[in-house]
Amino acid sequence: MALMDSQVLTIYAHEVRSAVRERNIVIYSIVLPLVMYPILLWAIFAGIQFVQGQTERLGSRVALVGLPDEHGALADSLENEKGIEVVPWEDTRDEALSAIGEGRLDVLVEFAEPDSNGVALRDNFTVRLHFNETRDRSSGARTRVEGVLTDYRDAWLDRERKVLGVSDATWADFGIVLENVASPDEMIRFLLSIMIPTLMIIMIAVATFYPAVDATAGERERSTWETMMTVAASRTTIATAKYLYVATFGAVGGLLNLTALALSMRWILAPLGGSTEQLTSAGIPLSALPVIAVGTALLALFIAAVMLVLASFAQTFKEGQSMITPFYILLILPSIFMQDPDMEFSMLLATLPILNIIMVIREAIVGVYHVPQIAVTFLSQIIFVAASIGFAQWVLRNEEVYMGTHEGGLGRFLKGRFSRRASSS
Amino acid sequence: MSTASVRIEGLTKVFYDDSRGEVRAVDDVHLECASGEILGLLGANGAGKTTTLRMLSTVLTPTGGRAWIMGHELREEPQDVRLSIGFYSSSTALYPKITPRETLRFFARVNRYPAERVEERVELLIDRFGLAEYADSRVEKLSSGMKQKVSIARTLAHDPPVLIFDEPTVALDVLNALELRKIIAQLRDDGKAVIFSTHVMSEAEQLCDRIAIIHNGRILACDTLDGLRGLTGKHYLEEIFVHYARDSQA
Repeated sequence: MALMDSQVLTIYAHEVRSAVRERNIVIYSIVLPLVMYPILLWAIFAGIQFVQGQTERLGSRVALVGLPDEHGALADSLENEKGIEVVPWEDTRDEALSAIGEGRLDVLVEFAEPDSNGVALRDNFTVRLHFNETRDRSSGARTRVEGVLTDYRDAWLDRERKVLGVSDATWADFGIVLENVASPDEMIRFLLSIMIPTLMIIMIAVATFYPAVDATAGERERSTWETMMTVAASRTTIATAKYLYVATFGAVGGLLNLTALALSMRWILAPLGGSTEQLTSAGIPLSALPVIAVGTALLALFIAAVMLVLASFAQTFKEGQSMITPFYILLILPSIFMQDPDMEFSMLLATLPILNIIMVIREAIVGVYHVPQIAVTFLSQIIFVAASIGFAQWVLRNEEVYMGTHEGGLGRFLKGRFSRRASSS
Repeated sequence: MSTASVRIEGLTKVFYDDSRGEVRAVDDVHLECASGEILGLLGANGAGKTTTLRMLSTVLTPTGGRAWIMGHELREEPQDVRLSIGFYSSSTALYPKITPRETLRFFARVNRYPAERVEERVELLIDRFGLAEYADSRVEKLSSGMKQKVSIARTLAHDPPVLIFDEPTVALDVLNALELRKIIAQLRDDGKAVIFSTHVMSEAEQLCDRIAIIHNGRILACDTLDGLRGLTGKHYLEEIFVHYARDSQA
């Protein structure tokens, strides 16, 4: 059968024309992917920044207990640190801990004699920080105090080693230098590689959802399904045209979302920090776009076929929505499980639908291209898509399904078909 | 060899219902309808009229028997059958978001009406059914009567030789029903074979050349009104119908 004969195109064009005049489909398949997710992302990042800013603006109330006289300078350093307020504490340690629990105090800095008798340095001490990690203000205070303590310790150690005659060169051997080899661009791409596949799947599913229900249960609800069944086209032609219509909206939704994200990346990511100059080239590399676009299209073709099959058993729009929802959740789950950035893109993974596309998109965003895995991914996805189209056509050709007389969903239909076949053989 | 446009031999449809088991909705129906003839299918609700017409339109597949429309057998050449018919029923609604003009254009094209003559055909139907004023308004904005006219025009978009109307006047007011009956009579005069189902006796009396009485899925009688009168000795169609219905249950 020619996939794109003139009847398929005529029915396809008719479906699309009707769909673009349907408000819900336009909102969920075109407007939402284009506008909502960039806005949503920006809002999330801006929100995080706002909350962090609010926390940073709040002063940290710090109490010191048992500070050795020799280290009075440490108290001065804490008092001089912006955002730290050293609270005179006359009560017991336990009362201080209660105050942290109740939010009246943020950190208790408790000094003690060092545990070991073999310490080499004089005036040494152990410090214990008590804080409440369930409270942002307490956690923020801990970070501030820890910073001051670290600076003080480093300065003190530096002084003591000079007294002990340890040379600068020897001392440098004990130092730890932290250097993040990832550039700001790479850091941003890493974040995007985690976020975008998930968003892409959600967006394609949202964009496919309404057309799939509209093309099946919606037609039944409007009594136009039988009208279509009386045209001089084969059931396969009708099923193919409907499938292409649903897949088009899924792919358009996904690609519009990708375009919107790519165009608004700088603006969206600005709240993440870093100067505008640092973010100049941030975002999805141009070279990744074709790979992502193909992946998105294949994902849309697969999701459209499954959603069309599931929705074809529904009598009403509402029923269609409830039949598709479990698949919708199933789609999102893999992207949640695959948040681990160290997950290896194996050949086995390349054969698993959805997971393989997630990996291809993720790697393309960070500029990694495992060509054999990409080839296997696209090939296996094409096989899955062809199988799902064939399955969708087979289901939609069935009289009980297209007349809406079948009671129950896909599972019951298949059980009925196979038990009938078994009993007839 | 029969020259009838529609020939039905032993058409049967059995459904399986969870609660009732096997249901013979249509049982061994034999009928014929020639060009330029209106064949009325008269029966109460649930008699099997719609199932018979749905099988003729290939929406449903027969369980048994055979039928030919313009020489094409239902199960062997379903697409050619659909090319030869225009089917209307209460469950073949119009697409609400497109206009009557777009509706006619779509059904002409998808039913393989010659591409270069589609626009001409659309304009002819718009003119014939008096749709000009509403031709470019969305169907959802039209009145019931106007929608019914567009629906009938839709069945004619590809100029089929056989028309199947399942209770087309059922939701119409008196004036719109009268106008629709005139249109159907004109279609007969144009040489179309029309199969028309109804449960309204007066409608069948006025419009049909021959009437087939269907009850519990079986054709109890099929003749002209005068022929049925002669066979039963009853004058009114209602009396004739009751006569056959009671007879079949006896």
